[in-house]
Amino acid sequence: MSMILIWLLITVACYGAVIGTAALMTFAERKVSAAMQYRYGPNRVGPFGLLQPLADGVKFIFKEEVIPAGANPWIFKLAPILTALPAMLAIAVIPFTGVIGTFEGTEVLGSIANPEIGILYVLAVTGVGVYGAILGGWASNSKYSLLGGLRASAQMVSYELSLILAVLAVVATTGSLNLHEIVAGQSGWFGWNVFSQPLAFVLFLVCSYAETNRHPFDFAECEPELVGGFHTEYSSMKFAMFFIGEYTAMVVMACLTTTLFFGGYLVPFWADAPWWMGLIAFGAKTSFFLLLFIWVRWTLPRFRYDQLMHLGWKVLFPLALINIFVTGLVISFGPGAN
Amino acid sequence: MTKIILNGREVEADPKKPLIAACHANDAEVPHYCYHAGLTPVGSCRMCQVEVKQGEMPPRVVAACRTPVAEGMIVDTESPKAHETRRECLEFLLKNHPLDCPICDKAGECMLQDFTFDEGQAAARTDEPRRKLEKRKDLGDVIVLDQERCILCSRCVRFFDEVTGKMQLVIADRGAHSVVETFADRPLTGNYQGNVADLCPVGALTLKPFRFKARVWNLFKKASTCGECSRGCSITTEVLRGDEVKRFRPRYNADVNTWWMCDTGRFAFEHPNRADRLAGGQRRGYADSELISTEEALDQLADALGEHRAPVVIASPFLTVEEGAELLELCKQLGSEARFLSPAPNELGDEILHTGDPCPNRRGLTELGFAPVEAAEALELLAASKAALLVGERIGELVGTEGLAGLPTSLQLYVFDTNACLAPAAQLSIGVPDHTERLGTWVNVDGHRGKISAARSAPAGVRPLTSSLQTLRASIAGAEVTA
Amino acid sequence: MVVVERKELSFLERIYFPAILKGLKITMSKMFAPRFTRQYPEEPLPTNEVTRGQPRLAVNPDDTIRCVSCGLCEAACPAYAITIDGHETERFIEREPERFDIDMLRCILCGFCEEACPKDAIYMSNELELADFSRAALVYDIEKLKRPVSALQDRIDYVKKINDRWQTSSST
Repeated sequence: MSMILIWLLITVACYGAVIGTAALMTFAERKVSAAMQYRYGPNRVGPFGLLQPLADGVKFIFKEEVIPAGANPWIFKLAPILTALPAMLAIAVIPFTGVIGTFEGTEVLGSIANPEIGILYVLAVTGVGVYGAILGGWASNSKYSLLGGLRASAQMVSYELSLILAVLAVVATTGSLNLHEIVAGQSGWFGWNVFSQPLAFVLFLVCSYAETNRHPFDFAECEPELVGGFHTEYSSMKFAMFFIGEYTAMVVMACLTTTLFFGGYLVPFWADAPWWMGLIAFGAKTSFFLLLFIWVRWTLPRFRYDQLMHLGWKVLFPLALINIFVTGLVISFGPGAN
Repeated sequence: MTKIILNGREVEADPKKPLIAACHANDAEVPHYCYHAGLTPVGSCRMCQVEVKQGEMPPRVVAACRTPVAEGMIVDTESPKAHETRRECLEFLLKNHPLDCPICDKAGECMLQDFTFDEGQAAARTDEPRRKLEKRKDLGDVIVLDQERCILCSRCVRFFDEVTGKMQLVIADRGAHSVVETFADRPLTGNYQGNVADLCPVGALTLKPFRFKARVWNLFKKASTCGECSRGCSITTEVLRGDEVKRFRPRYNADVNTWWMCDTGRFAFEHPNRADRLAGGQRRGYADSELISTEEALDQLADALGEHRAPVVIASPFLTVEEGAELLELCKQLGSEARFLSPAPNELGDEILHTGDPCPNRRGLTELGFAPVEAAEALELLAASKAALLVGERIGELVGTEGLAGLPTSLQLYVFDTNACLAPAAQLSIGVPDHTERLGTWVNVDGHRGKISAARSAPAGVRPLTSSLQTLRASIAGAEVTA
Repeated sequence: MVVVERKELSFLERIYFPAILKGLKITMSKMFAPRFTRQYPEEPLPTNEVTRGQPRLAVNPDDTIRCVSCGLCEAACPAYAITIDGHETERFIEREPERFDIDMLRCILCGFCEEACPKDAIYMSNELELADFSRAALVYDIEKLKRPVSALQDRIDYVKKINDRWQTSSST
């Protein structure tokens, strides 16, 4: 009974933290971009404008819901859910911290679930995310939305390949699909995967930007060309769902980057750090990657669509293949091979 | 006719009139203050100086208003010498004239302003203080005199002397001390005082009801005819912002009123500016009266008139000839006798303009075939009938509001008037435009046809009487056909 | 025909990352640069005597209004924003406005009224803010337009200075 209570507690804490972070990210996005442009950003709602996401949420709730004439209402309503849900599901296996303690003989871990195929699960559910964009684009009965949806699907499918190959290199090095074990495998002096797999890290980072539809790859909602992309016709809470989905996906991607390449909850130079210290370390590392998302967005211009495809198929994909090949060679015939 | 050469052009001039009249008649502008075509020229302002060459004499500058025309005279109104002389005279006139144009009501139609602007001297060359005189001298009920502004042209003095025949104003004292005054400060009397405010070329004489109320350039001016007596003086109706009638001013008409009009007509704002105008129709309901549209009211009126045979029809003397003709057709259709209300003559009549008969279109309606009927007679007729139609501006008031209120409710009374008829017998009132809001013709006592014209629009929802009567006739005829 | 000469990129340039890092450095450095934004309601716009704000009527220290309702501003107004009715007073200046309405929604702040005024009665104040819940409330009547001369003194001095540049000696 109490185990379930603890499990519930952890679930609520994890989801609260991730969705709260996603909400804060909308605020941080505006604040950071403002700062980079010599502005202040939102600073009217609450102290330093911190309640701005709340105000935005209230605004979204009270906006009029519009479903375009000729739209397929069921798929139109399904699409935002399909965007937000996979990102939310992926949270379940993210290891936020290590072992918190033991309860009735069971180890309580800093994640909701700890399946042996953790990373596979993450890749599987985030891969569903593309359906939200393509269905939303198709169901809107609008040419802009349709083009946005098509672009999103093509882009996500292309980059997912390189992403998975990059992750595969990490998995190969660690020899496990379990995220806790991947983290544990990065302990020690220069143990982080970013040092052993720098190319995989770069590939993963670039692909994660494309996967989350962020600048410089946000072709799905490319404003100058497609008005709002696949969510052009969406309003009110349904639009907010797309928004939440996008930002939650960003948080998940930042968490994954931390977990896979930066030692997750491991604290550098402190092997037996307490679990809360691990949580802080994880938070700090993830925050940096979240900041990087914003930072890159307000620095780089958008690619051209053919350049995007060129980069994906002709640069990243071969590099990922070479990377996994070399990794395989090193594992099989390298110094540590048995 | 005498032939003169005016600005290099040979023109015909009337030898009985001064030279300035010949100049004005031939489009040569000569500035003037004291000269007025309706008054004896005196040559006091010296503004009308023109250069004249007669015979072998060298050209000289003379006052055109005091110079008779002579055969072969060569006149130049625009010569540098004439301009220079006029500018100098103007400078003297302005020497003591206060610079209160922003305050002065005359600004905008002031001859002093206009000619100063023409002659182009913008600044004074003196720095002595100006004459301090009375600025608000009360001259009776109508006129206020500002002695500082007066340039002593004596037009007002001559007007009372020559037109009304009673010399009420004089120029008192002499030289630099001259002022216009009434004898022993008695107030002005008579029904023609208002004319001196029009005559005054500057803002010295102002009308009390108009004083500081509006700027003249904001007034919309429309030529029309006065409706206060059967003289039908030609006037200009002046309306502020499409709303309030601010002034009636005489308009030159050699056949009717020449330059003048009486104060009764000049200040007849009571009716045009009344607040309780009826915009549409008003029906007597079971509990209270209710407002309806003109179209709805006309429908109901047509139904009601269809039920009655030969209702009593009494027209207002303010009906125009056109409206009278329409009403006559309606009378024929209803089988009624056409009558118009003819109030008793009032005591305002005089030998100058006012006839004392308050019916502006008596002659026009009589010629059309309307029979005059007095107010008492009209009330008897109404009391004896089952249904009656009163048509036209002010009809309720002319028949008598109390008289109408005393009528039995067995009478079905239908009224076309500018305001709602409140008598218990009145079933329906329909608003009509008043004489500042419609077009038409009045025939005055001498048979002169005076045009009235719309200086503003009627309240929204009010239809012209002619159009209302046409609709009414058409729907009555239609009802008869279907029945 | 235009021939575009494309520069042959070096390997470092082709992999694009140094340029991205350079860009990231620039944006990050700008994050700590001073802000340009003005926090408007707390930090009002700076105004000076040249500011052409909403027109206001000058009221003398003895509480008499300078305006004599001559109607020149009404005539000069290109937007037909001004409506004036006059009436008679007991003062030496015999005339003053009974109604002086400026429709601030029509007013285009051109300053023609100020220029037309022969009595130095209407001035463009430094008041620029205009907000209310109805259109009717933004038709300012005479009470809303009155300002003591002291409040408009800077503008009065400025206008006098400008006028003196081209005016000859007055005829009064």
